[in-house]
Amino acid sequence: MKRIFTISGFVLLCLFVVNIAFAQNVTLHGKVTDAATGETLIGVSVIAKGTQLGTQTDVNGAFTLQAPSGSTLVVSYVGYTSQEVVANAGTTISVKLVQAANGLNEVVVVGYGTQKKVDVTGSITTVKGADLAVQPDNNAVSALQGKVAGVQITNSGTPGTSPQITIRGVGTIFGNQSPLFVVDGVWYNDISFVNPNDIESMSVLKDASSEAIYGLQAANGVVIITTKKGSGAAKVHYDGYVGYSNPTNVPKMANGTEYATMVNELNGSLNGAALTFANPSSFGTGTDWLHLLLHDAFTQNHNISVSGGSDKSSYYFSAGYFQQNGNVEYNKYDRITVQMNQDVQIGKILKIGYKSILSGDHSRDLPGGIMYKAYTAPPIVPVRYADGTYGDPGDFPVGNAVSNPQATLDYFNQTTQNYDFNGSAYAELKLAPFLTFRSSFGGTFIHQEVQNYDPVYQATKGQFNSISTLSRDNEDTRNWIQENTLTFDKTFDHAHHVTVLAGFSSQRLKSYSESAEAKDVPNYNTGDDYFSLGDNPTLSDGGNLETRESYFGRVSYSYKDTYLLNATLRRDGSSDFTGSNKWGTFPSIGAGWVISNEDFMKNQTVFDNLKLRGSWGEAGNGAVGATTGRAVATNFVSNLGGGTNTQIGEGLLQIAPPQLYWEKSVGTDAGLEGSLLKGRLTFEIDYYIKKTENAIFPVPIVGSLGANGGTLNANQATYQNKGWEFSAGWQDHIGKDFSYSVDGNFSVNNNKVLSVVSGNIPLYGGGGAAGGNLTNRTIVGQPIGEFYGYQVVGIFQNQDQVNAAKSYEPNAQVGDVIWGNNGQKTDIGNPNPKYIYGFNTTFKYKNVDLRVDISGVGKVSLYNGNEDTRFGEENWTENFYQNRWHGAGTSNTTPSPFLSDAANGAPNSFYVENGSYLRIRNINLGYNFSSSLISNLGMSNLRLYVSGQNIATFTKYKGFNPEVLASGADNQGIDTGVVPIYAIFNIGLNATFK
Amino acid sequence: MLVNKKNFLTLLGIVAAAVSIMIDSGCKKSFLDPQPQGVLPAVQLYKDETGATQGINAIYSQLGAWAETAFPALAIESMGGDEVQKGSTSGDSPAIGYYHSFTQTGAENGFDNTFWNGIYAEISLCSQAVDSIPLINMDATLRARYVAEAKFVRAYQYFRLVRAYGDVPLRLHYPKTAADFNIPRTPKAQVWAQIEQDLNDAASVLPQSYSASDLGRATKGAAWALHAKVAMYEGKWADVLTYTNDVIGEGIYSLFPDFEKSFRIANENNSEEIFEIQNVNSYTNTNATYSQYSQVQGVAPAAGWGFNVPTQTLVNAFETGDPRLNATILFAGSTSAEGDAIPALGSGHVDTMYNYKSYVPFADAILYNNPGADQDVRVIRYSDVLLMNAEANNNQGNTTAALASLEKVRARARAGNNSILPPVTTTDKTQLQLAIWHERQVELAMESDRFFDVVRQGRGVQLFGNRGFKAGKNELQPIPTDEITLSGGIVKQNPGY
Repeated sequence: MKRIFTISGFVLLCLFVVNIAFAQNVTLHGKVTDAATGETLIGVSVIAKGTQLGTQTDVNGAFTLQAPSGSTLVVSYVGYTSQEVVANAGTTISVKLVQAANGLNEVVVVGYGTQKKVDVTGSITTVKGADLAVQPDNNAVSALQGKVAGVQITNSGTPGTSPQITIRGVGTIFGNQSPLFVVDGVWYNDISFVNPNDIESMSVLKDASSEAIYGLQAANGVVIITTKKGSGAAKVHYDGYVGYSNPTNVPKMANGTEYATMVNELNGSLNGAALTFANPSSFGTGTDWLHLLLHDAFTQNHNISVSGGSDKSSYYFSAGYFQQNGNVEYNKYDRITVQMNQDVQIGKILKIGYKSILSGDHSRDLPGGIMYKAYTAPPIVPVRYADGTYGDPGDFPVGNAVSNPQATLDYFNQTTQNYDFNGSAYAELKLAPFLTFRSSFGGTFIHQEVQNYDPVYQATKGQFNSISTLSRDNEDTRNWIQENTLTFDKTFDHAHHVTVLAGFSSQRLKSYSESAEAKDVPNYNTGDDYFSLGDNPTLSDGGNLETRESYFGRVSYSYKDTYLLNATLRRDGSSDFTGSNKWGTFPSIGAGWVISNEDFMKNQTVFDNLKLRGSWGEAGNGAVGATTGRAVATNFVSNLGGGTNTQIGEGLLQIAPPQLYWEKSVGTDAGLEGSLLKGRLTFEIDYYIKKTENAIFPVPIVGSLGANGGTLNANQATYQNKGWEFSAGWQDHIGKDFSYSVDGNFSVNNNKVLSVVSGNIPLYGGGGAAGGNLTNRTIVGQPIGEFYGYQVVGIFQNQDQVNAAKSYEPNAQVGDVIWGNNGQKTDIGNPNPKYIYGFNTTFKYKNVDLRVDISGVGKVSLYNGNEDTRFGEENWTENFYQNRWHGAGTSNTTPSPFLSDAANGAPNSFYVENGSYLRIRNINLGYNFSSSLISNLGMSNLRLYVSGQNIATFTKYKGFNPEVLASGADNQGIDTGVVPIYAIFNIGLNATFK
Repeated sequence: MLVNKKNFLTLLGIVAAAVSIMIDSGCKKSFLDPQPQGVLPAVQLYKDETGATQGINAIYSQLGAWAETAFPALAIESMGGDEVQKGSTSGDSPAIGYYHSFTQTGAENGFDNTFWNGIYAEISLCSQAVDSIPLINMDATLRARYVAEAKFVRAYQYFRLVRAYGDVPLRLHYPKTAADFNIPRTPKAQVWAQIEQDLNDAASVLPQSYSASDLGRATKGAAWALHAKVAMYEGKWADVLTYTNDVIGEGIYSLFPDFEKSFRIANENNSEEIFEIQNVNSYTNTNATYSQYSQVQGVAPAAGWGFNVPTQTLVNAFETGDPRLNATILFAGSTSAEGDAIPALGSGHVDTMYNYKSYVPFADAILYNNPGADQDVRVIRYSDVLLMNAEANNNQGNTTAALASLEKVRARARAGNNSILPPVTTTDKTQLQLAIWHERQVELAMESDRFFDVVRQGRGVQLFGNRGFKAGKNELQPIPTDEITLSGGIVKQNPGY
């Protein structure tokens, strides 16, 4: 670590020295357009040859450059053939760039290197950073929603919470379930520290042959992130917006009168029992807790970067500030990011560089389950009484499970701070024109601090605390990864292109946490609180240490860019496994045929490019946790001697599996991709089969074994995701001033469990709802973690019906759901979405541009656990009130308000809802000032925009948000009070100074 | 770019050296074998005397767990009795009420399976100690005592199981091979025999008492008293007489003068407590031995949830003027002896009575997150031993001795007021038995004894039939359906379920 700081200090100095160039320069003007379409090209690199002077074109395709008159300008752009033009002062140079042959000379980031897109045989989708940064998401993964076929993004409504990403269906269910993120060569499980504005591109590796080179951690897919580098003359770029977020799709709850009516019914008013509330209408509309707690909130984001470079060196420096207040009172999140990187060519054979990303964030947290508390809070209880004290559910006959959520919020004081330092450095030796050795070392240091202060208070009869408690959890994470690769790259006889890569890598992941707590600590408004001033300070700690070691290699062969072959092999060792199971081997192979490069295609004009490809590969999941395969002791505290005496105890409450070995993701992919009509139409079709073999599951075991959780972690199930992905895009222009593009993607995925070691005994999961009953099941032949319960076939209208069902619903009553299938549970819904789609468009007319993005998920079920998690008199929705059973003949689909009894409370299909949604994800309308107006201000680009994110979500789901974060595929799709998703409306500005 | 051959070879050498250094650092044999962090690997347990001590501590700690003292235990061991009903609001955890209406099916998630699994977890901890401690090189006296303590707790847990379920899988060792993973129910006679064996082993080693710092550990008296209770459920009256006489003969137990005060925190481990689960509202919450026993039965909402509340049947069972009535039942609208105003019915309160024996005064109850967490659970009191002794003596025809033991219990309850609770004088064996049974009902009320006591007396249909108790079925609880499913049918259900 120390060394990296030293290097960065040195390089920072260089940064100010290298790029201050002086010359007798004149101003050169020019404009760059697409030779075929006439469309202006933005961000084209223009460099005066042999100098470090350079710039990029603005949104109108225009550039101005201070350079000696008569300079040769090198004009280059991704996907186009570079051109050199001589520029003289006083003339406007017009450069028409021709799209590179078939648009496929484009370079694609693959594992440990890059490949020409034409040579790729796997399924890789690259999204440009510019397309991500346009959305007001603080995590770049969120912005991927709807952009990549086969990739599902599940966003959270709590600012600062990382979204979940699923690539081609459920990958693994145990241990780390996120894909591997490779940020400039360093491995991460989460990229919330990366500012989306610093991202150049994100490549999603979707098929096993592309992933296999990352072996041990690639079973859930790989996302490679390349951050920005500088080029050309120094420029300063600013991006920023201010706006507000507005909670959407907030359910409407029953009002006071409706609630009191339903409590009466719950307590037997229909059977003549005494009324709990004699006059429900006296409560009127009561308190609308959800709307009371949710409100619009401010958000802002500012980023500034300085970058530049020449063929000898480049630098990029940026700073960003992001703030988003939560839609629930008090909740807020802000983050500062600083990124620096620099690459320097030293002599002819050595290139060194470093990168550092510093990020610090701070959040004022939400109390756990606050949305569920607000959902369930009785509307008959006022927020406050007339005398200013809190409305107390304890003053009403509504049981003790409900609370005043405003009091919960007011007395919750928790902050979380993260400080991340991510650094990496590399050296690259060009041993020969065809041979490169690269050595890199990357490290992460994360300090997390969570502080909670629970003051003394008595808010209501059930919400109180009589001794103040201060607790602070500090966790330090220190990870490093070192990698060494040797790359051979040579073309023989102008036809045979061979690339060979061999590498070695090792990693160490370590964390240590300390949690301290003390009572009666004086609370200061400023500065820190001190445990030593309190009573009985206690300390507990914990940690984790995992190591990995890997050897890997790849051979790529291409014959005249027409016949392609890629093969990789990786061998990984992981400390998570023991004995002979420590090591796993992951091969892959891919082949491609670029049909359009065949002689017989030479004379056709329809296809610019047409490629057929197929691949097969294996990847693993070596991050299952350090103690999964081992039995470890449980810590106890005993009270022998009575009073406050305590002693430490240790005992074994778990059973280790006889052995535990690598679970593997084995994937086969076949694809057809091409472009037609001079690049105006592009398409890509993939068919894949992805098998997760020997997935590790917590397997329920008989209780008499005495294992505390009643489970044993073991290699249990093999399941499969199979599906299709379609992407197509059209781009064209009408006349000179109007251009547009339309891109769509659609994917179909089917998940099925192929085998389970425990045979016919299913694996159960869930338990978050339905009174702790397990709601999810994994069984052979069905989708993983499907909902499992009783299929509701009606509502008991009278006692005769109840009596007839006594044998299988012994505790049912009139108004309860009738279990179909003679009281046998069955599959009642699939939480794995079948369809994922996105539709992204851009339009540009003169100086105005518009972007509209739509995304959605189809054919998926959710378990509405808000409604099914009940201990008594929790509130119901207005919709429930309207449809509920309240006497014979009133409803045959919605039960009575008594939802917690055996019949209604058990997992059943009443709570399973359609979770499909279609969302207008983003609309962005911008105005670009012409360069003539702004060049006097020293600007090359100025764009003003208004944007709306998540403007509308169309769904039949009755809970908060059809995006439900899962804690694992065996527990997925259960909504127990997620924070609603929000819309963001903002105005923003992009400006480039030079 | 051109590199001449010599330079190239030099560079290659540098690269090779760099790679070999890295491989060397990475390939150390230990690199891929780090120790688990912050937890003891199983192999590190029971290594030495400290390990033995910690293993025994774990056993006592687990006794206060949710499964063993709160909802699951109350549902299985208390709700069938006529002295209690579910409590709280009708919509709140209705499944607990199914144990009262005898409509439980074994599928009541969080009750049947949680109780079963929790008891077996405790048994596993005990068996680990019983098997491992004898192999430790440590003080021989302490080693023997630790094993005896573990055997006592194991016997107590198997007693709870066999009393509730009849035949249960008998596991005496931590599972080692696949053959151990799934075993059928063992005939109850064999389980009873193992319980008696463990108790005999324990009683022969355990001391009569401990120093203050070891209060709460199993004693010789606890082993004998539990053995007497085991024998009573087996109908071995001669043994009941022997073991109760052993306890009485120790001369170290006496009834605490103030019945009400004997259940308060200040008087924990008093002279009549033979075995008591030690609970503390520990500052460190991690697996602390705090129990939710008091909280789930506490006055709602300030000091608990108001479950397992007394019934009018219990009120009616007390003789006129019996002070134990107002020391067993906390009436809504009254003021407790400790000065707490118990909120009247109406407003937020739906229960008219609460369990006084588990009550912790509000000032102590609302300390922090878990009201009443330091209330100990009384497992066996001396009055239970006296009443077992009375019943055994009556059974064996020793009427005078039976009356004497019974009178000790009534005399304490009388607290010097001779106008109430007149001494029982009947010498009719049947009448005396009824009197003893009645005394058990009021003396041990709200202590999870009633349901099993009535079943043992063969009066289930007579006393509980109105609530649906069926002979040949409801004497036993259903085996958790989860257990049957997970065993693949190797574990069979009880008759009638």
